[in-house]
Amino acid sequence: MSDRGANAGAKASESAREQHPALELAGAAFGYAGETRVEDLTLRVPAGAAVALIGPNGSGKSTLLRGILGLADLTAGSVGVLGTSPEQARRSVGTLPQSDARDTSLPITVRTVVSMGLYREAGAFGRIGRAGREAIRRAIELVGLAPFAGRRFGELSGGQQQRAILARALVSNPRLLLLDEPFNGLDRENREMLLELVARQRDEGRTVIVSTHDLEIAKAACTHVLLLASGHEPGEPGHPAAFGTLTEALTLDAVQHAFHDSTVELDQHTVTTTREVDAP
Amino acid sequence: MSGWLAEAAPGLASIFALPFMRNALVAIAVLAVAAAIVGVFINFRELEFVSDGLVHAVFPGLVIGSVVGGTAGLLPGAVGAAVIAALLFTLLGRGGGGGSLGGGLHAGSVSARDAGIAVVLTGLFSLGIVLVSRSESYVSQLQELLFGRILTVTTAQLWQIAAVSVVAIAIVLVTRRAQLYRAFDPAGFEAAGFSAFRTDLALNVAVALLVVAGVQALGVLMVVAILVVPVAVARLITGRLLLLAPIAAVVTLVAGVAGLWGSFEWSLRGGVSASPGAMIVLALVALYGVAVAVSVALSRLRSARGAGREGGGRIAGARPTAAAQAAAAQAATNPPGATQATAAAQTRAGVCP
Repeated sequence: MSDRGANAGAKASESAREQHPALELAGAAFGYAGETRVEDLTLRVPAGAAVALIGPNGSGKSTLLRGILGLADLTAGSVGVLGTSPEQARRSVGTLPQSDARDTSLPITVRTVVSMGLYREAGAFGRIGRAGREAIRRAIELVGLAPFAGRRFGELSGGQQQRAILARALVSNPRLLLLDEPFNGLDRENREMLLELVARQRDEGRTVIVSTHDLEIAKAACTHVLLLASGHEPGEPGHPAAFGTLTEALTLDAVQHAFHDSTVELDQHTVTTTREVDAP
Repeated sequence: MSGWLAEAAPGLASIFALPFMRNALVAIAVLAVAAAIVGVFINFRELEFVSDGLVHAVFPGLVIGSVVGGTAGLLPGAVGAAVIAALLFTLLGRGGGGGSLGGGLHAGSVSARDAGIAVVLTGLFSLGIVLVSRSESYVSQLQELLFGRILTVTTAQLWQIAAVSVVAIAIVLVTRRAQLYRAFDPAGFEAAGFSAFRTDLALNVAVALLVVAGVQALGVLMVVAILVVPVAVARLITGRLLLLAPIAAVVTLVAGVAGLWGSFEWSLRGGVSASPGAMIVLALVALYGVAVAVSVALSRLRSARGAGREGGGRIAGARPTAAAQAAAAQAATNPPGATQATAAAQTRAGVCP
């Protein structure tokens, strides 16, 4: 699994020459109502890269993702997504939001959930025609849920639900995928399956940005890492601790900086950081 | 049973051949269809309390309308109050529905929204009462506005009800995809570029219009029942999205026929003039009770069978709560005896060489 990262990295740099960067931030800061949550972001994500967005709570991972969608305010600097503004780019962006806001009690099938990925294009009265239905079928098949297409979404397991939401993100054939903590609450088997799907999207040339707490995921499916550190005082905006390819950015120093009030253990293969709640 | 039906059916037919009973039935039928379609999204969005608030907000509009223009002033007064209240409630509920990619900083909680609505609705309701008590026929007017006058629905009023209902249905049908997406996944909805404000305003206006349509026939206190109860019954009966509204409409229609017939018979034979609106709502609640009892019995039966066969069923597939997830993550990664740690910052890693 480790050499796939290198392959995709090479492929990503090839395609980056002919396309706009997927994401370009220059001194960018994002926040809400004038209050900056994450700042000092200057980076270029080449098209076709897979970026792991890693950092403790409060470091601004979600704010950055919302900023890329144009849902958080740009409080400083500039942001370019797929060579245009976040609002313009939104139709080429697929998202997998955190799962906690979903109402799984609604009587809707997996097929209906996936079709929501086409609602924006179809508008109020546009029919989801044969091409749309075919796209829905293919997206469901791609995530391995074909036998469950007619099932109620709420009856699926957590991992299956995440795959259905991934299918919803993929159905409109986006160039950029934003995944917010997609592995939360999944067991190992489901996590592997979702990782595999994310890696395949990257191999097909889509740019993937995935926020996670799990460095293992970065190693398994990503070409780049953006480590975010939280501010020194609570309420201070987060800032990048490191950005680059896996080998450049994922160093012990950078991880320690990102989780700065943490104890970090290192052995041959594992770093464990444990953030102390009552840290001085 | 069939003998009883054979006896009752011609009776029913002749009762509803009476012009005032026929008008009442047509009004209920129109309202049944509109309330079922709008009610599905009230149910999905858990906006029952908001609809109750809108009902109360319409009340002063009715009073002002009737003071200014008599019966003809009721509709414009109610529409004006309803639209203002819909806008107000949409603003109060702004940012509701959190999540990471949607929601954001100022995600208002349901309780904050409901507190605001409670203040507005009691205020407006009191305003209506104060206004109505200025007029001389205070008690009879109040009673009409509170309990409706379904047996005196005129043909002109029928057209009003139909027109307002059609507009409410149209608003919900035009925004149905946005409404469904927003109800299911507010975070994904916002990330996809939909406007939460416009979607909420559309639904609130549709609800307000239906309140207006129903309030003259059923009264302020009853109209919310046809928006809320039939869909609740339908959700107990079916798990299929497209069957919810048809079943809800049939439920209202059945309750409407039963309520009208019951109050007619009762006043004829018992000499008791039971409010038909109230009888309809009682019939609705009775149907809900039956649906609950049947669904509880069915699920007991199913779980008893399921337990016999595979012991546990699909509880294993249920989504754990965020707290449970965090606890599980902590238990999995925290070495025994370590400092109490936030699951958020625990990171197991394979660092590159």
